Amino acid sequence: MIRLLPSTSVRLALGYAALFAASSLLLVGFLWWRTEGYLDRQTDAAIKLDSRLIGDQLKNFGLPGAVTAVRERAAAADNGAVYLLAGPELQPLAGNLPKWPEQAAPKPGWYWTDLTRGGALHSVRLRRLALPDGLNLLIGRGLERRAEIRGLIIDALCWTAASALILGIGGGVLVRRAMLRRVEMINSAATAIVRGDLARRVPTRNTADAFDELARTINFMLQQIEQLIEGMRNTSNAVAHDLRTPLAELRARLEELIRVRPAMDATFEEINKAVADIDRVIGVFNALLRLAEIDSGVRRSGFRRVELSELATEVAELYDPLIEEKEAELDVDAPPGLAVNGDPHLLAQAVGNLVDNAVKYAPPHGRVSLRIASADNGQVEIVIADNGPGIADTEKPRVTRRFYRGGISDGKAGIGLGLSVVDAVARLHDGSLYLADNHPGLIASLKLPAPPATDSFPRPTQTDLLRSNPPR
Amino acid sequence: MRILVVEDNERVARFIKKGLSEQGHTVDHAESGRDGLFLAATGRYDAVILDRMLPGGIDGLGIVESLRRTEDRTPILILSALAEVDDRIHGLRAGGDDYLTKPFSFGELLARLEALVRRSQHVEIQTALTVADLRIDLLSHKVARGGKPIQLQPREFKLLEFLMRHAGHVVTRTMLLENVWEHHFDPQTNVIDVHISRLRQKIDEGFGRPLLHTVRGIGYRLGLDD
Repeated sequence: MIRLLPSTSVRLALGYAALFAASSLLLVGFLWWRTEGYLDRQTDAAIKLDSRLIGDQLKNFGLPGAVTAVRERAAAADNGAVYLLAGPELQPLAGNLPKWPEQAAPKPGWYWTDLTRGGALHSVRLRRLALPDGLNLLIGRGLERRAEIRGLIIDALCWTAASALILGIGGGVLVRRAMLRRVEMINSAATAIVRGDLARRVPTRNTADAFDELARTINFMLQQIEQLIEGMRNTSNAVAHDLRTPLAELRARLEELIRVRPAMDATFEEINKAVADIDRVIGVFNALLRLAEIDSGVRRSGFRRVELSELATEVAELYDPLIEEKEAELDVDAPPGLAVNGDPHLLAQAVGNLVDNAVKYAPPHGRVSLRIASADNGQVEIVIADNGPGIADTEKPRVTRRFYRGGISDGKAGIGLGLSVVDAVARLHDGSLYLADNHPGLIASLKLPAPPATDSFPRPTQTDLLRSNPPR
Repeated sequence: MRILVVEDNERVARFIKKGLSEQGHTVDHAESGRDGLFLAATGRYDAVILDRMLPGGIDGLGIVESLRRTEDRTPILILSALAEVDDRIHGLRAGGDDYLTKPFSFGELLARLEALVRRSQHVEIQTALTVADLRIDLLSHKVARGGKPIQLQPREFKLLEFLMRHAGHVVTRTMLLENVWEHHFDPQTNVIDVHISRLRQKIDEGFGRPLLHTVRGIGYRLGLDD
């Protein structure tokens, strides 16, 4: 990367210079083309005017008039103007050429050609005209001014090209230096982060240029990564703690068995408990794997239209005996017609976890409600409320953390991942989980985006395949 | 039953073999995918237990696909450490009949295996199921024990139907959750147990001998206790 950069920027600088030079050349070339055309048109117009005037003289005053007109013009000619009036045999009658240049203008018409005059070769624009009575007229204009202007323009061209090249290379070098400096800033920040300085950020200049944009994106990415790493660190600590406890119990149990060698019955009883310890460990693992699976987003491939009233009824039905057992009450308010695009199993899991929590924390004869409604800005919400102890405001942001267990839950079953799963499921569905006070109790509301109205045909999905596994 | 176990981990294989033999089944064992495919294709087995990741060129899914291509319909239970939903779907799509994730308890494995075999044997359509004096009508959804009608909610009926289809055999909690509630999630608490005890109240309470039994650590069994 580092080695590549100079050559990239050199290439950029050279390309910049070349482009600059090429565009300058194009401009000057266009200027030349237009100027030349203008000069040529002017020359031709002057020749036409002369020939018309001489033609008029011939018509009005006969040959003598024409001769006089040619003589006058030839005498006043400058800039290599050519006038020659000749008889039918091309013998010169008047003009500033000693002899008819036959090879230069063999027939009447317009010519670009060279004439030898005064021992030097001159470029001229010539017009040969056939006049009445077999007379021939030759009128021309020297092209010295044209050549002069061409010289000027070529000079200008060279100067422009040279300065364009210099400016281009200079500009390129400046651009390269500026670019390298910005890239170097990003590079050094990245290197520092690689070395372990996770708090390091790419400096920004508070402008809206592309590098600042890039720097802000990188900083945002770094912030996400830092949070993820922080989260992972917390999770690993929590996992270590949650696994260490049952593993320690298991180890103690087995070691004691070896040491004490109790009677057969007692031994089997202990082994049974050891298996239960292992199941706890497996439970933690499964919960973590499930969370990881949700977080990874692969379950999005199984999304389909999920009718929320059906989902709510199903979950309510699943937890119904539990509520009955606690002699609590469950109000379900799930009007049909509300749907989201999602994974039905995960949504059922999330709603199930919330209902499970609500039932768990509701007091005896308590009240739990499950309500589905449309919310603001095209969202639908699933609200589960209880009249239990609730969650203190300071605890609310923490309860969705993995393995976090509120002070209130001591002695309750579970491994502290229930709300994390709900939170993860909400995020998978581009929604969020909100916790509020029910005075007393907790209101948990899951806000999910409603699918676009046109998407009403459920596609067969992976979860269908699981369901279509014939009943056993 | 004759059962083929294709599993490369020696300890896991021994655990399955021993357990199945104790249940009176005959067990063949292959350690590699190649040997497993050879045995499965040439021997007559009532069921195959197949590890997914196997040495020997062909893996578990490869074996399932080869067998299904030759119209071999032997029930196959795939055993795997790959637990994601996608893995499960791949396994079932390849032609597996059930998918069990490692680590597993032997009770779960046996219950699922027996259910698979029963399913492959029952092909005739039944309109009523009877266990002892308990009878359910699958068409009218009427339930009666000893001639006395019992009122069940739809889900309770489904639960009872599943238990009766597997009468005399153990069904596990996850089997119930997957088949009766069609949920592939962990309901966190003992919801299934509570549903069972409610069903038990309706079909056992007030009748002589209990039919719905809890099998400790594994699941439930419907049938006369003998």
